[in-house]
Amino acid sequence: MNQTAVVTENPATLKGTPYKQNRWKKNFWGYMFLVPAVIIFIMFLWVPIFKGLLYSFYHVDFVKGNSFAGFENYSRALSDPDVLTALKNTGYYMFLCLIIGFWVPIAFAIMISELRKFGGFVRVAAYLPFVMPGVVLYGLWRWLYDPVGPINALLGTMGVDQVAFLTDTRWSMISLVFMETWQQFGSGMLIYLAAVLSIPRDWYEAAEIDGAGIWARIKYITLPSLRNLIFLMLILQIIGTSQGYQSQMALLDGGPNNTTLTYALLIVKYAFTRLDYGTATALGMLMFIVLGGLGILQFKLNKEDY
Amino acid sequence: MKSADRGILSEHDLKKTSNKIVYGLMCVVILVMVFSMLYPICMTLFNGLKSNQEVNSFPPHFFPQEWHFSNLKDAMNYIDLPMFLRNTIYIFLGNMVVTLVVLGMSAFSISRMNVPYKRAIYFFFLMTLFIPATSYMIPNFVNLKELGLLNQYAAFWLPAGANTFYFLLLKNFFDGIHPEIFEAARIDGASEPRSFFSIAVPLSIPIFATLAIFIFSTAWNDWFWPSLVMHSEEKYTLATAIYKYVINVKALNTNIKFAILFIVSLPPIIVFLIFQKFIMRGVALSAVKG
Repeated sequence: MNQTAVVTENPATLKGTPYKQNRWKKNFWGYMFLVPAVIIFIMFLWVPIFKGLLYSFYHVDFVKGNSFAGFENYSRALSDPDVLTALKNTGYYMFLCLIIGFWVPIAFAIMISELRKFGGFVRVAAYLPFVMPGVVLYGLWRWLYDPVGPINALLGTMGVDQVAFLTDTRWSMISLVFMETWQQFGSGMLIYLAAVLSIPRDWYEAAEIDGAGIWARIKYITLPSLRNLIFLMLILQIIGTSQGYQSQMALLDGGPNNTTLTYALLIVKYAFTRLDYGTATALGMLMFIVLGGLGILQFKLNKEDY
Repeated sequence: MKSADRGILSEHDLKKTSNKIVYGLMCVVILVMVFSMLYPICMTLFNGLKSNQEVNSFPPHFFPQEWHFSNLKDAMNYIDLPMFLRNTIYIFLGNMVVTLVVLGMSAFSISRMNVPYKRAIYFFFLMTLFIPATSYMIPNFVNLKELGLLNQYAAFWLPAGANTFYFLLLKNFFDGIHPEIFEAARIDGASEPRSFFSIAVPLSIPIFATLAIFIFSTAWNDWFWPSLVMHSEEKYTLATAIYKYVINVKALNTNIKFAILFIVSLPPIIVFLIFQKFIMRGVALSAVKG
């Protein structure tokens, strides 16, 4: 047989190439494939991150050049009363997102999983707002929330007074959260739905035979099966909402009377309205210190995925 | 098997009247949800076809009383939509190419090639996930400015290769390809680049499609970052242009405004309806990693 010949023709022993050179050659393409990504990650992610750390101690001036400022940026940031307002607003926004938005996709995922017909259509309908561009959303909801828009028309037919959804300081943040929930719950719902549908049906069968009612089945089978996912989504939502600024900026620009000025929006305003990049960077560093822990928690939670 | 058909409710449950009522209520809630999802979207279309007087009338009508299709033409003439569309497409295509080449190769290398210190390099990519993007948004802008990339398409194309989330999607996909295929190729004498380009890439079309949809929707929807990076009008993307010239303008007639909004939301909706399956699966993949 030829097999023996193949075995003796081991290239390392035959040609007598040194092991090290051979290894270099073997790994050459592996490294070459990594080089572009490593360069780009350094240039566009790691450099900004470290520049953030550096520039939070500098006055950033594009014309005259940067100059060292010590802790001035930090002390300015911490003594600004707007920062406290922004922190409160961000907390309020996160809280509203939890009580208005967080449970909605879970509830609808369970309900939609029980539909016998039209399940596909309902899924598409629920997800459709998510594919609408943000700018369309802003234009559309400005009209919906208008004092003479359809929502107030509906309220009018029910005999309720008109609500100035966007310009009333009590309503502005709630209106924003409601709009975002409307847009985003579809994607969360699909994730929960996949998890609900992956629960073995036999468990329900067994529970029913043992006499468990419908609510008991949801409480003791469905929700516990979703527990890890719910916790992960909670962390993701907290990470996401603590950085929210786009709809606040686009719809109300932080107003009325700073009630929708979130922390991230304040960073943006410091940089691009007051042109104080140093303080904006310092605010970003403070945010990183607070949120970094959450990122690590998220990593620990879905470790098996990496 | 009957047990496979059932959900939380069984056929038996639905025979009880009280359960029937609850089930009926649930269907009503879902119906209301579907209505509240579709109504505003349909309104965008119909408002774009009404006369301006009708859009502003109170209470609003659903269907237009007169159909003004000329609004669409006025919308096209109000701002230079084709130019903004071209810019958006440029950014989408460039981002797509960079993502596939840079992240595809690196993900393949980490997933399927022999590289010493692989864990360390992998961790180098992964670490960036835990730093909240907003906290380095300003230094990122300053960095682009210092590199002289502002107002250039390269300011989008190059950083597209620094997306840890897409990197993970690609790596997980490559992990799922059977290693025997690459072993066989190696034994047959294929070089590493060859086994990437002629085996891994053709096998990865599904994940590339998912990525294409993500990248398309980012390029199409993102209005804030392009408005910072691009500061001359002829380089604005569609979303940025709409934000600057349509959303924040009071003088524009509401019906024309809606006609523009409708034109802009149409392509993503069509893409979504065509590639539904890909997208729905992509969502399940994506969200878990945020």
